[in-house]
Formats: sequence, structure tokens, C-alpha cells
Amino acid sequence: MAAPSAAGLGRRLRAWLPRMVQVRWSRYSPSYLEPEAKKELYEKPLEELTEEEKEKMELKAVQPIKAAPPTLSSSVFNDPMISKFTNMMMKSGNKVLARSLMAQTLEAIKRKQLEKYHKAPENEKETIECNPYVIFHQALKNCQPIIGLSNITKGGKTYQVPVPLKDNRKRFLAMKWLITECRENKHRRTLMPEKLSQELLLAFNNEGPIIKRKHVLHKMAEANRAYAHFRWW
Amino acid sequence: MAAPAYPAWVTRWVSGQWRNKKRPPVFRPSRPLALADKVANRREQAAEATCITEMSVMMACWKQNDFNDAACAEEIRMFYDCVAKAEEERKNENEDTLSSRGNLPSSKVNKLLKRFPQITRYV
Repeated sequence: MAAPSAAGLGRRLRAWLPRMVQVRWSRYSPSYLEPEAKKELYEKPLEELTEEEKEKMELKAVQPIKAAPPTLSSSVFNDPMISKFTNMMMKSGNKVLARSLMAQTLEAIKRKQLEKYHKAPENEKETIECNPYVIFHQALKNCQPIIGLSNITKGGKTYQVPVPLKDNRKRFLAMKWLITECRENKHRRTLMPEKLSQELLLAFNNEGPIIKRKHVLHKMAEANRAYAHFRWW
Repeated sequence: MAAPAYPAWVTRWVSGQWRNKKRPPVFRPSRPLALADKVANRREQAAEATCITEMSVMMACWKQNDFNDAACAEEIRMFYDCVAKAEEERKNENEDTLSSRGNLPSSKVNKLLKRFPQITRYV
């Protein structure tokens, strides 16, 4: 008698306090499938599909599909990393501004690289990378820390223990460092695309303050390597 | 005459232990002598940290090459592989199999024992 009333109470409480209770799980039932955005999958003729793909297609005829989020797109220009970065740059929901800043950043990178390309002598022209997307991805990859520190309390004292990081966490840290570096440590009058393009080009060449911050983190992890046994996972 | 070999009960009777209530222990169990259907709650020991050797090798390489990632690419790759493997194992172990140390936690043992209880009486 206590168990069903407790569950009912919880639901009623959650309905009454919609913003004060954490609602982080998905409202979809587990039978709902993810929407598929890639056009190539639909253009393939039936014979070329593998067994699992055929099964998936049959399942789609029967199971319901979740609503597509606005960021999901089948365009060739859609890049999940760039979308994530734009969302992190966005302030108070101003996606228009964040997207335009991102576009201006990529344009600025392209301009700088083209300038370097045209000034360079013939033999060096192949080494200069002009594709801003390639530069963006490589710079982010160079900024990702390999090992992180986490606070573990043992015997009343908190220690900084070196800990392996998940991929999502690494990407998040790289993007966060990039954005905070550009927002705080630059001259007030420089615009964000200018600052970002500068930082991205430096990170692409493994120089600059963000790479330095990553090295500082690695050095601290290396100094604290004796505490690595405090981990239990 | 050598030491006479009396039976043991004679020696005991003569020494008066029986009259002083030093009798052989008679065991009268209060509950039936059968194993219970549960194990005592034991605090599970924390597992060890994984990938420590790979991490130390990578850090030694860093120290030599001044924290340059390109020079230590092989060690970093090995560290990532080890981390991925440990993560995979951790995901797969949360079932009814033994943990990495080779022992089951007491809650799982209790669940299994409850499925196959001790039969104390026959009908």
C-alpha cells in the first residue's frame, strides 16, 4: 500500500514543482527510434543493403520515430563539432549571433591562410593548409588533454588524482578553454572572430596559450602520479 | 611394578572430575543445524586503479620529450587502448558473473541463495 502511493505522490509532486525537480531523462518510451538524417542510406537500392540495415529498415516501418532536433541536418555543410562549438559560444540563446561569429571566424581563418599561401614561395605552397574546417578540427584535437585530474578525498584530505578522461569530456575541455581564453585574456576592442581565428591558428601549430594550459595540466598530472592508486575505477 | 595402565575412565573417576561437574560437553543446538539462506553483509573492497603501468610509461615519455604529444604518440595510443578496454570490461562485468577479483558481492550471493533455499523439513 505504501509503494504505489509513494510513486503516485512522487509524480504529483513532480507535476506541481516542474522546475524544482530534475527532469533529465527522456520522455520517449524505449521503442522509439532515432531519426536518420543521412541521405545516402535512403538512396541505396535494396540489394546493396546489409542484413542489419535491412532489419533496421523493416523496424522503421513498425516502430515510432522520435522528433528530429533542430540541429540535426542532412546538409553536407553540417558538422557536429562546429555545431557544438557554436552552441557553447552562444549567450542567452542568441544562436543567430553565435552562428554568424562562427562563420566570420572560419572566413578569417581562410583569409589569413590564403594570404600566407600567396606570399609563400612555390615549394612551400603545398604545406600551407587552407581549409578552415581541417584547421578547426586539428586545432581542437591538439588542444584536447590526454589525462585529467579529479578530486578524491581519502582520510580527510582531498588529493588531485590523475584520471583518464572520456572523449566527450576532452572535447568539452578543449572547446571551453578556447572560448574562455578568447573571452578573457584578450584586448577589449578585438572582435571574437579575430581572437578565435588567431587562437585556432596557434593551436593548429601546437603553440599558444591553450596548448600551454594543456601542458600545465599534464605536468600537474605527472607530478601527482603517486596518487594514481587512489582511483578505484 | 611399572606404571599400571588403567583405562581412561578410571583415572577420570578417581580424580573426581565427574563429581565436580566437569562432564563432557553436550551440545543442545537452539536452531536446526542447517546453513541459513543468506550471507553476512560484507563491505565490498574497492577495486584497484586500472591502466597504471601505461600511464606511468606515458608520463616517463613525456618527461623525456618535454611533454610533446607528437613524440609520444605510441605510448598515448597504448594508454587509450588500455582505457577503452577497461571501460569495456567495466560495462560488461555488471552481471551475474564474478568480479575482476574473483568474488561475488554479498547482495548477489543472497539473491542466488534465495532462489535455491535450504530444505529444513520434508513433507
